[in-house]
Amino acid sequence: MESAADSLVLRGAHVIDAEQGIDHVADVHVADRKVQFVGPRALAPNTKVVDVSGHYLSAGWVDIHVHAYGTLGFANPDTVGVYQGVTSFVDAGGPGIGVLDQFMVLLDHLETSLYAGAFIRPMGLLGLNFIEGDVRTLGEVPITRWVDFAKSNRDMLRYIKCNAMGDYGPGTLKLTKGLAEILSLPLYMHIGEFQLQNPKHLLAPEAFRIAEAGDMITHLYHGNLGQVIDESGKVLPIVRDAERRGVIFDLGFGGYNFSWDVAERAFAQGLVPHTISSDLQQFNVVRPVKSLANVMSAMIRLGMTLPQVIERVTRNPAKAVSLTDRAGSLKPGLPADITVFRVDTGDYEITDCYTKVRKAEKQIVPVLTFKNGKRFEADLAMGQEESNWFLQIAEDHVPSAAATLTDRQRGFLNALAASLSSVSWELSSAERLDIEKALELQDIFHQVRAKQGLSLKDALRSVYASFLDQNFTMQIGLLLLRLERPFALQRLRDVSGQRPMAA
Amino acid sequence: MTERPWQVLAGLRPDSSKFPARANLEGEGIVILRTKTGFRGVQRSCPHLQGTMMNAELVANDTMVRCPLHVFTFKLSDGKGVNCPGFRLKVYEIKEENGMLFGRSAN
Repeated sequence: MESAADSLVLRGAHVIDAEQGIDHVADVHVADRKVQFVGPRALAPNTKVVDVSGHYLSAGWVDIHVHAYGTLGFANPDTVGVYQGVTSFVDAGGPGIGVLDQFMVLLDHLETSLYAGAFIRPMGLLGLNFIEGDVRTLGEVPITRWVDFAKSNRDMLRYIKCNAMGDYGPGTLKLTKGLAEILSLPLYMHIGEFQLQNPKHLLAPEAFRIAEAGDMITHLYHGNLGQVIDESGKVLPIVRDAERRGVIFDLGFGGYNFSWDVAERAFAQGLVPHTISSDLQQFNVVRPVKSLANVMSAMIRLGMTLPQVIERVTRNPAKAVSLTDRAGSLKPGLPADITVFRVDTGDYEITDCYTKVRKAEKQIVPVLTFKNGKRFEADLAMGQEESNWFLQIAEDHVPSAAATLTDRQRGFLNALAASLSSVSWELSSAERLDIEKALELQDIFHQVRAKQGLSLKDALRSVYASFLDQNFTMQIGLLLLRLERPFALQRLRDVSGQRPMAA
Repeated sequence: MTERPWQVLAGLRPDSSKFPARANLEGEGIVILRTKTGFRGVQRSCPHLQGTMMNAELVANDTMVRCPLHVFTFKLSDGKGVNCPGFRLKVYEIKEENGMLFGRSAN
């Protein structure tokens, strides 16, 4: 790995940078973790030269829709970040105002720059492993708390997300739009039904009506109820109107949200996403999404040119979430976030979220990533490792991490068990998720933590270490709710009484 | 509680049928899986989004079954969702006797 402060030249790649109008072979000069210059220039002494000829090179890719945190997240989110050519990503709805503090302390160590696309519901996305409930699960929208959070953490927030699905009526969307306006953030809306199969009132058209310039709609080419095309395949007039107003359309491939049939019909009529995002999460990384690169290959197959695809993972997303001061281009002075990739030719297949497969001749493969000048070898297999996405409670053994907890953490677990023993809870079914109970369990966690004077991070880690073998992160109230109560209390007591591991 | 009676799985032979195999039991379509320790039945489609369990994968030393659509994974012992709390798969005890298979509900 290069020392990040070294001068570095990436030599001989075909550079694509929409912002500077570059689409040809050129050298890229890096110094002090920043892009210095693209083009021919005399080398300073001790400059390291990396031969990347035969490859393509662009600004580091920006994925504005991933799930790093929570019930959909990964044990190591960098596996879908710098190890896949992505140097910045936005968690699309993982945290809400009630858990943004947990999100921030748990994911402050990533190599990939992580931002929050915060969810309107305090608990954040409940995930595919809990049914998104009715309007009751929306909970309160504490405006003052949001404003205070945004004041202290302006840089973290990139958009406010809600789901334009289910039978809530359009109130949720308008409420979220209102909050986004108060916070001066874009609104980001999911379209497409996948849980309630037959809502009385589809919310996708409402999303297109409510969105204003700079607001974003994701899952443009989904094939569920609430599509962008009508029954005859024609793009809906409300979609065209939204596009004319400057609404940004995002791809959001995901596990449910990309249909070849819809994509091909809409694309043929010129309806094209402005940003290409993956929607990667623990339930779709094995198939069908795999990586942002695979999604980009799908867009090549659909008919986009390579520069069009690259613009949609660099300049366009950086603009959409206001990151142009640090990402999306190779302009001199910007951080040295760089992706080196190949475009292979062969016989490939790209599957949508249903069962449709398309033969493809081109495949985009990330090779090297530089994040602030630090080098990472791309490895698409890492994200697919079961330990990275299979969130399993260690029921039959105490995770080894429990042995590394401090006395104070064990004392906290003991006090937590005592407090929890006075409440009952049960997760009876996904449909009847008791969101208020999850919030109550979270409140107890915070009360005990405050009494014990333990930091949020140490408290969260002590609970995770009691139940999880891998470094998954998850809303603490949801984690406790999913545990069977007698087991949870026993495990907390067992770990709290465990002797620390001998050094 | 009286035990549910075993019912024969018509048309299936433990030694010559191909598994996973479709069967009918207690009025429901199920899928019979062959595991390292014998046979187990599961409901025919995933309780999440109805992916067919005919394509399911046995994992964790054949103690769990995973729907290929969205990797929802269930314990074969009681059908509980492992990475999908709140979801539950119906599971069936299957026994082999006199060259035939018999089944009954397990949860």
